[in-house]
Amino acid sequence: MPNTLTETTTVSDMFKIRGRLPGVGLLLLFGLLAAGCASDAELDTLDPQSEVAETIWNLAFPVFILAGVVLVLICGAVLYLALKHGVRTYEGDDEFPEQISHNNSLEIAWTIVPALIMAAIGVFTIITHIDINGTDDNSITIDVAGESVEWEPTIVVVGQQWWWEYRYYLDGSQIETADLGDPRDLPPADIVTSGQFAFPTGTEVELIITSRDVIHSHKIPALNGTRDAVPGRYTPWKIEANGPGVYFGQCSEFCGLSHSRMRMQAVAMTDDDFQAWIDMQMSDATFDESLQGYVDAYRETGVGSVDDVENDALRGLDVFTTQCASCHLVGGLNDLVNGETYDGADTLAGSAPNLTHLANNTTFAGGLFNLYNNEDGSLNRDDLAAWIRDPNAVKANRANDLPDGVLPRGMPAHNLSERQINDVIAFLETLGPRPTDERIAATEVE
Amino acid sequence: MAITEEPLALASGGASNVERPLGALTRPKGGNGWRDWLSTVDHKKIGIMYGVAAMFFFVVGGVEALLIRVQLAAPEGQVLSAEVYNQVFTMHGVTMVFLFIMPLAAAFANYLIPLQIGARDVAFPRLNALSFWVWISGAVFLNSSWIVGGGGADCGWFCYSPNSGLAFSPSHGVDFYALGLQIAGIASLVSAINLIVTVLNMRAPGMSLFRMPVLTWMLLVTQFLLLFAIPVITVALFLLMFDRLFDAQFFNPETGGDPLLWQHLFWIFGHPEVYIIILPAFGVISEIIPTFSRKPLFGYSFMVFSGIAIGFMGWGVWAHHMFVSGIGPFSVAAFSLSTMFIAVPTGVKILNWLATMWGGKLRFTTAMLFSVGTVAMFTIGGLSGVTHSLAPADTQQTDTYYIVAHFHYVIFGGGVLGLMGGLYFWWPKVFGHMLNETLGKVHFWVMLIGFNLTFGPMHILGLQGMSRRIDTYSPGFGFEFWNMVATIGSFTIALSVLVFFFNVWKSRRDAPNLPAPGPDPWDARSLEWMIPSPTPEHNFDTVPTVEGLDEWWHRKYGYDEDKRVVRIATIEEAAQDGSAQGVHLPAPSFWPLVLALGLPIIGYGLIFNLWLCVVGGALAGLAVYSWALEPVDDPDADHGHDDHHDDSDGDGDGAEGGE
Repeated sequence: MPNTLTETTTVSDMFKIRGRLPGVGLLLLFGLLAAGCASDAELDTLDPQSEVAETIWNLAFPVFILAGVVLVLICGAVLYLALKHGVRTYEGDDEFPEQISHNNSLEIAWTIVPALIMAAIGVFTIITHIDINGTDDNSITIDVAGESVEWEPTIVVVGQQWWWEYRYYLDGSQIETADLGDPRDLPPADIVTSGQFAFPTGTEVELIITSRDVIHSHKIPALNGTRDAVPGRYTPWKIEANGPGVYFGQCSEFCGLSHSRMRMQAVAMTDDDFQAWIDMQMSDATFDESLQGYVDAYRETGVGSVDDVENDALRGLDVFTTQCASCHLVGGLNDLVNGETYDGADTLAGSAPNLTHLANNTTFAGGLFNLYNNEDGSLNRDDLAAWIRDPNAVKANRANDLPDGVLPRGMPAHNLSERQINDVIAFLETLGPRPTDERIAATEVE
Repeated sequence: MAITEEPLALASGGASNVERPLGALTRPKGGNGWRDWLSTVDHKKIGIMYGVAAMFFFVVGGVEALLIRVQLAAPEGQVLSAEVYNQVFTMHGVTMVFLFIMPLAAAFANYLIPLQIGARDVAFPRLNALSFWVWISGAVFLNSSWIVGGGGADCGWFCYSPNSGLAFSPSHGVDFYALGLQIAGIASLVSAINLIVTVLNMRAPGMSLFRMPVLTWMLLVTQFLLLFAIPVITVALFLLMFDRLFDAQFFNPETGGDPLLWQHLFWIFGHPEVYIIILPAFGVISEIIPTFSRKPLFGYSFMVFSGIAIGFMGWGVWAHHMFVSGIGPFSVAAFSLSTMFIAVPTGVKILNWLATMWGGKLRFTTAMLFSVGTVAMFTIGGLSGVTHSLAPADTQQTDTYYIVAHFHYVIFGGGVLGLMGGLYFWWPKVFGHMLNETLGKVHFWVMLIGFNLTFGPMHILGLQGMSRRIDTYSPGFGFEFWNMVATIGSFTIALSVLVFFFNVWKSRRDAPNLPAPGPDPWDARSLEWMIPSPTPEHNFDTVPTVEGLDEWWHRKYGYDEDKRVVRIATIEEAAQDGSAQGVHLPAPSFWPLVLALGLPIIGYGLIFNLWLCVVGGALAGLAVYSWALEPVDDPDADHGHDDHHDDSDGDGDGAEGGE
């Protein structure tokens, strides 16, 4: 080249600006890696807590590294070329570089080599794919109402706007032999929960996922990837957990107004804890004496009487039976209100959470709020009251003032007075048993 | 086809023998002012209108993007309600895909394809005008739902059923989505046919397919993708429309319909759509990088064939959008593998661009900066694409911000940056003055930094488990910091766009005081640079005879005995001066505009009152008949007609002069 001096200044000039280009790429890469190591996010996909999630991560991690290496090579090449070959102008420069138009063997090589790399990745992908889609033929022995039952851990997961329902069929026959039928009218289950579900640690739990309305997606990243809940279909999936704990999830398919507020938690328990949880969930709600009198009166006359005006919970029970019980089921109560025989834990409207053991949960409103305050373990009255007062205000829905032909979605506001709201909360608090302080601490949403 | 490409179609002065069927059907005369723009059939003016309209919708979609980022800047964002947020993110996606980047690519295709193949116009000039007017009427119709439809569509650009059904989306937004995109789809389909015929039939003598510039090649592949993909989305939209307007129940699971059918139809269109967006940008940078490397494009035939390969393989990967939807494990495995292998031809392209730069003399003009930026940024998008072609890994990534990061690196980092480079490169050819290079470089660096600040953190957010399409997030999940960074980045991008608009304004204002760019300001390689800037109305004085690839470069340069490049002609010697007079050009027509105006009226009719459909249909029908009946030419025009009648009778649109 004729003028090396000019060439040099040009190169250093260019370094100032062009250096950023690959620099940004590198930054990104390190950012990615940092995210993998340093994150304490509950929904982190890089922090597997189960065998299946680890299998996925073991496949993905080397590919992340490989992609990072290729990125550095490509951006490095761009940087190198910019530094080495940059010129400021073609003005007065009649010298042309060598006019290389092609090199077939080189090009064939860089077609075949990436193809081979992809083929190798493909082999591992298929192996992992088969692995995570297979199911174990496992079962555990549990005690159901005094009888010992071999249970193949299976949970029917039903999404709806904007909460998750979990249904346990402990004898398994309905799942194995009978068609589950329409997700909006499933056969009565032994246990129905919403927003939170329990399962035993160390064994694979099959999930049968479906939806009552639109498509949702059930994702608890620490335990497994996501799987869509498609109305009209049942999609199989599975989870497992290496140890007891609470694992956070979030609906990951856009499902309308409160998609962002459709959350859930998987609670992995030791076998003993799980057995205790089953026993508790299988039982009806238990009312204290004052409430029981109301229930008994109802049972006899069809009309409850609120004669003790000093008892908030009792007044709340009255509000509940008149305002809430047409959708929400409380085991031991709704059979009276609706004149139907209580037949297992189920929802009457097919689309409202079963509240039999609400106070045993640690979240409410589709996993959005803590039911208990993290600081002192007291009931989170503020959010609960706001939620009952006007659900749409704290979790967007479409339940009030609807045009003709539009289905209500979400919980409507019932124009309850502040006193009624206070009373209902007092009643709901009785639907225990209260969870342990450890569990309250572990399910801290924030 | 009857294409007249005689060297020069000068006025013969012969008397007109064309009768006027009706006085009203006289072809309008060209001229100045708005009437000229409304009636033009000139591919260059249509290209400019596509570009201007696309940039307008870039601003619209950009404002929507900023609203999204403001909402997500901090936890528990309250700027938008959930309802409005869902509309805004839906319309952001729809606007950016259908109303910004596709028409911007159409601007390049319209303007440059005829120039690059040495033609005077596209094959069907009136149809070309129709494409533009139909597209813009669809675009305006779609956005009018903000005003008359009770808000924009709220179902996401992918509009999965049954969430798109009347029961779950009761406003008219989704109706406007379904109808507006059908109207815009007509435009893409018509345009695709038009441009395919143009490329296949109207190339200059000697320009075999494998002498075509890579940009024309990539645009040709794009048109074939449109030709086959648009009908699929049209069918899907049609079914959705019938579901919503007439209770047809195609996608309603309650009555036996199938929501997954929509997903398949949408993504059979939707994945080729990705290549519809990216291939034009690949073409653009394949023109720019060789020019500013002073070398021919490395591996022309590999570049062409990898583009074609992408075009074919793009049809076999759609279900990777559905890995977790519950399709069978065998399907998932097959689509996982096919998705991995589509990385191969894209990888070839990246390496060939690098090889083009290898050993070259790299001049980093703004256009070159954008092109090299495209290579680097698209590489990031491509590599993240590989990471979720692994179906098991995708179960952790799908529907998270990792995917948002991925496709913005592909579409923005690849598509938008590439086309921005194209704007700087061809600006002098279109407008006759350069864009300011200093401002251009500011534009580039601010945009690149803003882009990486916005979308880079989204990789991290996605891997931290932040779901897509959420209108708020709670504190404590670790999303706060990177969301704030992304919001800052998005305003940085907005700043860079303002710099661009300022540059457009300033460059135009300063142009009279600066030397004219001449026909070939960049020492470029393809035919459009051998004609004056701005392009004369008739494009080429004489249609060039092409002897090889990079025809224009080879008219300027040859090789000496040592195989060194030597100049054999100056630009002025080799270029045409645009002085030809009386070249026969297609006559303008208002009927494409009138026909296009009928379609949104039919759309409003379907939504609000079926009688309006009669009005719209009558208007469109009138336009169709008038179009057919109007004379092929303006009898009073000052140029001859006989030059084409021999071979264009009965095929009015087929001939250049047939309009």
